[in-house]
Amino acid sequence: MKKALALLLAVFMIVGMFAGCGSSEAPETTAAPQETEAATPVETEPVVEESTEGKVFNIYAWNEEFKGFFEKYYTVPEGITVNWIINPNADGVYQDKLDEALLNQESAAADDKVDLFLAEADYILKYTDSEFTQDVEALGVTDFSNTYEYTVQAASDSNGVVKGVSFQCCPSALIYRRSIAKDVLGTDDPAEVQAQLDSWDKFNAVAEQAGAKGYLMTASEAATYRVFSNNVTSPWVDEAGNLQIDANIQAWMGQAKEFSEKGYTKNCDIWSDDCTVEMFADGKAMCYFGPAWYFNFSMGNAQDAEKGCYGDWAICQGPQAHFWGGTWLLAATGSDNPTMIADIMNTFINDEDVCSKLVENEAQFSNNQAVNAKYAEDPAFGNEFLGGQNDVALFVELAKNIKFENQTIYDQLLNEGLQSNWREYCQGTVTEEEAMSNFYKYINEKYPSITTP
Amino acid sequence: MKRLADPRKRKGISYAKWGYLFIAPFFIVYGLFTLVPQVMTIYNSFFENYREGLKQVGPNFVGLDNYIKLFTPDKNGNIDILKYAWNTLVLWVGGAVPQILVALLLAVFFTSYRLNIKGQQFFKTVIYMPNLIMASAFSMLFFTLFSNSGPVNQLLTQMGWIDQPIEFFAQKITVRGLICLMNFLLWFGNTTILLMAGIMGIDQNLFEAANIDGASSLQVFFKVTLPLLMPILVYTVITAMIGGIQMFDVPQVLTNGAGTPNRTSTTLVMYLNNYLKTSKNYGMSGAISVVIFIITGLLSMVVYRSLTRKDD
Amino acid sequence: MKKSNSADSRVAKARLTAARALVYAFLIFLTVLCLFSFYMLFINATRSNADLQGGFRLFPSDYFFKNLYNAWTDASINIPRGMLNSFIIAASSALLSTYFSALTAYGIHAYHFRLKKLAFSFIMAVMVIPQQVSATGFYQLCVKFGLTNSYIPLIVPSIASPVVFFYMKQYMESVLPMEIVEAARVDGSNEFSTFNKIILPMLKPAMAVQMIFAFVASWNNYFMPALLLDKAEMKTVPIMIAQLRAADYSKFDMGKVYMFILLAILPVVIVYICLSKYIIKGVTAGSVKG
Repeated sequence: MKKALALLLAVFMIVGMFAGCGSSEAPETTAAPQETEAATPVETEPVVEESTEGKVFNIYAWNEEFKGFFEKYYTVPEGITVNWIINPNADGVYQDKLDEALLNQESAAADDKVDLFLAEADYILKYTDSEFTQDVEALGVTDFSNTYEYTVQAASDSNGVVKGVSFQCCPSALIYRRSIAKDVLGTDDPAEVQAQLDSWDKFNAVAEQAGAKGYLMTASEAATYRVFSNNVTSPWVDEAGNLQIDANIQAWMGQAKEFSEKGYTKNCDIWSDDCTVEMFADGKAMCYFGPAWYFNFSMGNAQDAEKGCYGDWAICQGPQAHFWGGTWLLAATGSDNPTMIADIMNTFINDEDVCSKLVENEAQFSNNQAVNAKYAEDPAFGNEFLGGQNDVALFVELAKNIKFENQTIYDQLLNEGLQSNWREYCQGTVTEEEAMSNFYKYINEKYPSITTP
Repeated sequence: MKRLADPRKRKGISYAKWGYLFIAPFFIVYGLFTLVPQVMTIYNSFFENYREGLKQVGPNFVGLDNYIKLFTPDKNGNIDILKYAWNTLVLWVGGAVPQILVALLLAVFFTSYRLNIKGQQFFKTVIYMPNLIMASAFSMLFFTLFSNSGPVNQLLTQMGWIDQPIEFFAQKITVRGLICLMNFLLWFGNTTILLMAGIMGIDQNLFEAANIDGASSLQVFFKVTLPLLMPILVYTVITAMIGGIQMFDVPQVLTNGAGTPNRTSTTLVMYLNNYLKTSKNYGMSGAISVVIFIITGLLSMVVYRSLTRKDD
Repeated sequence: MKKSNSADSRVAKARLTAARALVYAFLIFLTVLCLFSFYMLFINATRSNADLQGGFRLFPSDYFFKNLYNAWTDASINIPRGMLNSFIIAASSALLSTYFSALTAYGIHAYHFRLKKLAFSFIMAVMVIPQQVSATGFYQLCVKFGLTNSYIPLIVPSIASPVVFFYMKQYMESVLPMEIVEAARVDGSNEFSTFNKIILPMLKPAMAVQMIFAFVASWNNYFMPALLLDKAEMKTVPIMIAQLRAADYSKFDMGKVYMFILLAILPVVIVYICLSKYIIKGVTAGSVKG
């Protein structure tokens, strides 16, 4: 008894010490940088001779992808420390932290200010269309002759001011099973298949033929969603704040319901096992949609040694051009390192050497048309997974037709919300009216300012 | 000063300052770290206060508007928050009742001299282990298990019980059932340990005396164990209730935040989270939490009173 | 009703055997239910990312050591460091929350003072406020006080844990006779040392239980640490797991994620087994005897 008691006490003593140390030590360490800043304003007053710019460069990101490229291919000017602030995007932590930092940007010490941050297409507008990002053309990023049009559109605000650049381009293709295409369409040649699938009418007609032979046109009813939503002619929300459902979105809703009812597709999320299980050799799905990273890294079942169907795939443009994914670099307002921001951006879009290395060493489709063309023309180049087809050649063509128009800051969640609520209608668990009513409720919860019917 | 141990005289030798001293750290830390955000929650419920993108709207004082909005029926005459309260209740009862019953049973088994269970340490560890997995990882596993092409459906098809896969995530009853099952698995070990610690704290002489008097196991349980365990049981019920009303992560992750089908597995806190996550709508989420706070508070009070009414 | 003693005891024995069999069957059933998810976790940790996309598998694959190697050598995460960080935070908050909750509960249980009822009601009331809402306010508060990238906001607030307090209070009501306190006062013991030397040991099972719970809760806590910590060397295990899951497509590896989840459970199991030893019988009796 005594022993145990002594042990317990000892433990608490240690805790006490711990707590003591913790509370006396940690505040000092955290407060220290700010205090020194306030006391010796080296950064704010331009007393330094060679450069008036900050000595610390802060980059916000949600994973290490760009950090890897940056460290390999960008030479940091002497005397500058690059500080990576990496927060996972799970549960919205990345955006929460970034927003907090941007909102406090003005009062932050020079070395704590955000200089550069990364954003995805899904929510990029939230940042570009705000005062928290700055015009990069004014900083010296002016040559967009080699970048793809849509990557510039995506990084521009509603007045066309460019706020950043992307170091990659993610054109997305229609990925089809060669053997199924042969059975249904009588050919697996990409050009001939494309001719039979180059509009939605043709696509829907082929779905019927595939269905008649016992195949699925797509594994998930949401597979085609991105193709439709990338090509809308009106934004989700009009100027008065009213929700509007674009004709293209309505077309998808009709297609999804029809495909579900007729059994041309399964009702499942594109990332679910139910969807990917159809990639096995005994799978029934004819079409998937996705960019290079999708078929190279996310179609694991197709690449399975025993049950897969490696090489039984090919890509074509499909009914409409679209993209999926990609990361943009945005310049934060209030940065004390404008020259370096411009330098980084120029490196990753205009430095041919760097862009070539991205393609060669990093399996990226770069945001430099000249560099990509170099690889597209290489006759020896081919992707074994696609039966030897030169995917880069197709993507080079495809990327030119992509648009990034009629986007709003609400897109990501509205797209997700429509898909999940509409799926319930496709499954038949709710009526159309209930599905829409749930979708409107979802919008009211997420965005109080949008007026729903 | 500290002379006699007469309980009635205790007040005379005021030990009150020790009381204040002992509870001081709690209240100081609470005040510093938690009170402000919590008071802000209630305060915010009377304001329009949200973000749109990076733009802050409000705070503008709107009185009871947020509450009125919460309780305004939609076009079909349904009041959403009541629906979610009902969902929460169903999910809670489905998970918590078996959880407490099974835990009570196990706690008695483990502490019974007569049964003298072998391998206790093993069982006690195993039943607690689900609680160690992160809820998100646990849900990921359940997702794979019960998907349309998953092993459960495969097994049922192979045994010839079904020809079409059961769509576990598209039906009210199966989604709710899975949520209850997961909550049960996650928490019953936890409750067992709590109750076990409670039973073990009871003076062993009482059990021995009861045994000598020839009491049966059932008699011992109802006459000795249960009354003495009551305070801990009250704790278990109240915390299970709070946990139930605040149920969030399991249905959130399992239904990808959508509360499918037709929002029948949307709980009150998921509803709150919907308002909070993107738009940082402190007004509406504040109002919802005040409602949750009032419901939980009332229920806890009723339970606490009814289970402890005999003393004071 | 006339039976010999031996027949009586034989019946009793048979009954006991039957009861035992039933109890074991029940326990084994629950064990299977509980272990199944772990088994799956283990199986998934032995599979490659590509294989994992194919759904369920009942038997282990041969990727275990590859996943272990990949997880261990991943440049963006430092597993031992993450575990150490998580351990420091979880252990400190577990100790603080149990000790101070017991102290607070004892303060309210053993003494009479004017604000006693109010204090108790207050704690009970705040216990039922959903945490989701105050989380963001708490984060903003920490930003204002410059407490980001510090363990203080993750450890110190556990001193005020209403739920743990409530358990301690209830536990004292069920097992702590005031006579012991009185006896200590007769011995001339100072109130504070009475608490430390006499009361705390009697609360051992309760302390152990709540320490386990607090440790696990803190160990698995993602949201608040993720908001507060962004220095690589300060990150905790759940943040690292989330970061692995946010990896870009070409480096995305669920096998690695499952492996890390599996690794992250091991320390908690060890802590659990160590602490559950303290949930033992007869503490009260032993303590009264001295």
